[in-house]
Amino acid sequence: MTIVPPIVLKLNNISRAFGHISAVKSISLEISRGEVIGLVGENGAGKSTLLKILSGVEQPDEGTIEINGVTVAFRSPNDAVRAGVGVVHQEQSLFTNLTVAENLDQRNAGRIGIKNWARVNSECVAALKKIDVNLDPTARVSDLSFVDRQMVEIARAVSIDPNVTGTPLIILDEPTAVLEQTETAVLEREILKLRDIASVIFVSHRLDEIMRICDRVVVMRSGKIVSDKKTSEVTKDNLFRDMAGGISQTAHVDRLRTPAVAEPAVEVRGLTRKGKFKNISFSARPGQIVAFVGSNASGRGALARTLFGAETYDSGTIEVKGKAVSRWSIRKAVQAGLAYIPAERKVEGMIAGLSATRNIALVHQGEAAVGPFLKLSKLAQTAQSWFDRLDVRPNTISRPLINFSGGNQQKVVLAKWLNSPHINVLLLDHPLRGLDVGAAQTVDAQITKACESGAAVILIPDTIEEALEMADEIIVMRDGEISARHDMHSKRNLTVQDIVADMV
Amino acid sequence: MQMILPKDWKGPAALIASMVVLGIIFAVLNPRFGSIENFRNILFQVAVPLIIIVGTTFVIQLGSIDLSVQGVMGAAGMAWILLSANTRLETDYGIWAWVIAIGIGLALGLLAGALHSLIKVPSFVVTLGTWYMGLGIGIILYGDEMLPSLKSSVLLAWPTQLTLGLPNAFWLAAVILVCGNLISRYTHFGRGVLAIGNSETIANNTGMPVNTIKMIAFTLAGGLSAIAGILATMQLGAGSPDLGSGQLFTVIPAAVIGGTALSGGEGGIMRSAIGVFLLIILNNGLVLAGVNPAYQSGVFGAILIAAIVVVARPDRGILKIAK
Repeated sequence: MTIVPPIVLKLNNISRAFGHISAVKSISLEISRGEVIGLVGENGAGKSTLLKILSGVEQPDEGTIEINGVTVAFRSPNDAVRAGVGVVHQEQSLFTNLTVAENLDQRNAGRIGIKNWARVNSECVAALKKIDVNLDPTARVSDLSFVDRQMVEIARAVSIDPNVTGTPLIILDEPTAVLEQTETAVLEREILKLRDIASVIFVSHRLDEIMRICDRVVVMRSGKIVSDKKTSEVTKDNLFRDMAGGISQTAHVDRLRTPAVAEPAVEVRGLTRKGKFKNISFSARPGQIVAFVGSNASGRGALARTLFGAETYDSGTIEVKGKAVSRWSIRKAVQAGLAYIPAERKVEGMIAGLSATRNIALVHQGEAAVGPFLKLSKLAQTAQSWFDRLDVRPNTISRPLINFSGGNQQKVVLAKWLNSPHINVLLLDHPLRGLDVGAAQTVDAQITKACESGAAVILIPDTIEEALEMADEIIVMRDGEISARHDMHSKRNLTVQDIVADMV
Repeated sequence: MQMILPKDWKGPAALIASMVVLGIIFAVLNPRFGSIENFRNILFQVAVPLIIIVGTTFVIQLGSIDLSVQGVMGAAGMAWILLSANTRLETDYGIWAWVIAIGIGLALGLLAGALHSLIKVPSFVVTLGTWYMGLGIGIILYGDEMLPSLKSSVLLAWPTQLTLGLPNAFWLAAVILVCGNLISRYTHFGRGVLAIGNSETIANNTGMPVNTIKMIAFTLAGGLSAIAGILATMQLGAGSPDLGSGQLFTVIPAAVIGGTALSGGEGGIMRSAIGVFLLIILNNGLVLAGVNPAYQSGVFGAILIAAIVVVARPDRGILKIAK
């Protein structure tokens, strides 16, 4: 006789509409104790709305939610927390100006009385211990690394209320989107450990990850569940087909990797910035993609920012198109034909409240600029042509950029730079971060196209696979120094493991 | 203990250092600057802005601003003196004078806090409104009769009287300052203020009573402005609707100098207090140094900028955004 694990979450015909657009249509789903469910779907498939309903941010129009056998109606996020639902949001939701312990202290969130620091700190230690993480409870969150912050989020989700008797449900909304390969491995290990104490809903765009850690995969499309199968019964291609609605993932088209012969678009010699990176030398020729691989602390992000003039350097030289630069600044970099897509899209890559049209016109106005004036019709024309070319959805160029999904925002950010008549160097810091498969393909295709039309690309990829797929040369960085270089023309069968070995 | 000694002590340390340097320069220019009388004089002057800045800091930490300080001071000060023994009216309500005057401050603060948090009117606009409302109350109470002066010699002498060698006015401010600091560090309200200043969205999503916390902060600020108004009236010995003149642009710069970012979530009451001391010492020192009164404002501004540039030097990067 086998023991059937109890059902932790049961959704019956959940529906939610915004105006006349229904975001979620009669969703029914059951999750048992100790199960890790992968939830996948393209942007706009309704995952976010479903998660918001589960975490009490939105209320369903129809249907019921049962948690540990009890029907619940969440009127606020607090209700969900009390019922034992912990959420790790896609965007980190920690108060960066407060300590780790204070961020974990959500039991007292509704109160305004005296704070018992001794108890807050000791409860924090207990919560961190529960997930086997070693952090200083009195450390300020802004001083922590990204992965450590993610651990704090998980600790908070797990530590919910000691009075909850049933199994807690932990929802992880793309927790790995901003993490590096090595950090992701740590997080995956943590998620597997959660199995013993909780049920988990894991949302990710990275299908490899889903396949590795989930017991079951649920695919959503246009607000409905289109497939719900054991991981052992599906393949990545199945999933992709279900997500995209029948279209199989187009096999990656190998870019024509011809060794470039022209003079380097950018050449760096002995570049050093104290405490960030040391003695970096490399060059990138037009049509070449050079990928920098390494951990968050490896200094590759700082290097990209320095090349773009956003940070200063202490010694070394940068040459653009054979000319050494002096008093380098972002303004000069842009004039020299450099373009930079920052990792922090929302903060550094776009002006959220401005329309997509205005965002595209931020750097180059082209024919729209008439003396000090802007020809609005021309701006709109340019924006519309980019929207059509990059398939930005919804196709309304006047909409504030903040109201687009992440993938579509990134397309607009890319269009802003591609709008330039000549790009010599394209610096890409995590260009695919948080993008679904479809958007990632569009962005990838544009990068390849820019490359073919003569730009040198310097890429900081999300994953090592991405580097292996796209780059002509992979430079591995560790602790601010270059620890290995791989010419992809000579080393065709390089593996992820080879590169990870150089990273640590 | 960790919460008592903030980890980011470097900013305040630099401020205190620049204060010491200024003090030495002023003492060299005029030995009277370093005298015990002048020391007491500075503590006397610093009392009113120190009381106000406790409320100001809470509000700025929220990411909001309270412009109503001077208006509330005028209303509360006038109400207090007319209800205490004074030369105009034959009234003396004793303790009720205090209750009513502080009540006016609390009410104006609560009004501003409620409009700001519930109806989502920007705090800049709301408190500009309550500033003029307070000023209006003060002017109506002032009327066109003779200036009301304090009769009670006990009350008149109280602010300057020394307890343990320091003026009572300063002791009052010090008690409020310490209480404010304890509230900031050891209550869910105080931590909630910092949390909201960091991210209101997250605060809402964790079930924090955001509106209540905001209203408490504004009400507290109103009440403290009222106490400051009463103290200022006592120090002056007479009532005046605009006795708070100049305080707003003492406390807001002081908070910012102390490291309380106007965008919210940063800084602390003790650090703001250091900012107040810096401004008052600068003012006092320039007078004693015999700087031509015509030049004092200009020199004050120049030294202020120089001090900030030196203090803020370490945390400037190429892309650091200052607003």
